[in-house]
Amino acid sequence: MAEELKIGVVSCSGEDCLGGTISRLATRKMLDEVRPDKTVTICLPLFLAGGQEERMFAKTFPTIAVDGCNKACAKRATEKYSGKVNGTILVSDIIGDTVSESAALSTRDVTAEHQTMVDKVAAEITKQFDAILNANSKNQAGSTATSCGCSCSGGCG
Amino acid sequence: MSINEKVKVIPCSGMGKVFGLMAREAALRTVGQLCPDKAETMCLAYVVTGDAEAEAGIDGKPCITIDGCPKMCSAKSVAIIGGDIKEEFKVLDIMKEHKGAQPGTATELTTDGWTIVDKIAATLHERVQQIHGEGR
Repeated sequence: MAEELKIGVVSCSGEDCLGGTISRLATRKMLDEVRPDKTVTICLPLFLAGGQEERMFAKTFPTIAVDGCNKACAKRATEKYSGKVNGTILVSDIIGDTVSESAALSTRDVTAEHQTMVDKVAAEITKQFDAILNANSKNQAGSTATSCGCSCSGGCG
Repeated sequence: MSINEKVKVIPCSGMGKVFGLMAREAALRTVGQLCPDKAETMCLAYVVTGDAEAEAGIDGKPCITIDGCPKMCSAKSVAIIGGDIKEEFKVLDIMKEHKGAQPGTATELTTDGWTIVDKIAATLHERVQQIHGEGR
């Protein structure tokens, strides 16, 4: 039986701007609500402070980097320490540069307007997430079908 | 440090645990509301990427780190880059003073969580004032 695929969603820490807060909340939404059984994440700074276990992260899981601003820390750090990401989200492309670059927001001050931004970003993550899942399913089906030609998962060889 | 130099308050901002969120919220309250003229924060992720601009912002500068878990990402990362760490706060240690408190989740804090965050921020504020005083 094929191992169930999980996807890593790696968010920037987001202390410099609102886009970072939205990144964090959208990533948490993936973990809590949208794809709770299939989403994994780690703290981005663990890539530097952590050991091999953390750095194996993106080698083990397909990853989507979610960045609040064009410094693209999540994408750059993941690719520097672990490997190429499978998807990227730049929040400023979704909510606009000016809004994204405004001051970082406490979760205490999140408004309905901010929540709408979170939902939009989470929707984009979901789109990329599902595309990766679908591509993986097709690959698995393809490799099973070609392994011995009878879709037996290799058991008749 | 010069009189005008701001103390860097750098949280781990952990995504996976409530303590990371508490560290982040305490830092944001300190630099955004309690002493914006004396303290500022930086994205730890930006620091971690090894960007020259980020390193220059930390190297030799007075810093306070706030970590949510024992991995101490903030303290370790800031130290590697050469930050002058004046104090390392650990949310886990602070939680020992609040046995039984239910602070919430990595997504959302409860009333307990916000109360503790505000206490951490008050402590950070006090420490920032001291560090600024030492620099005069």
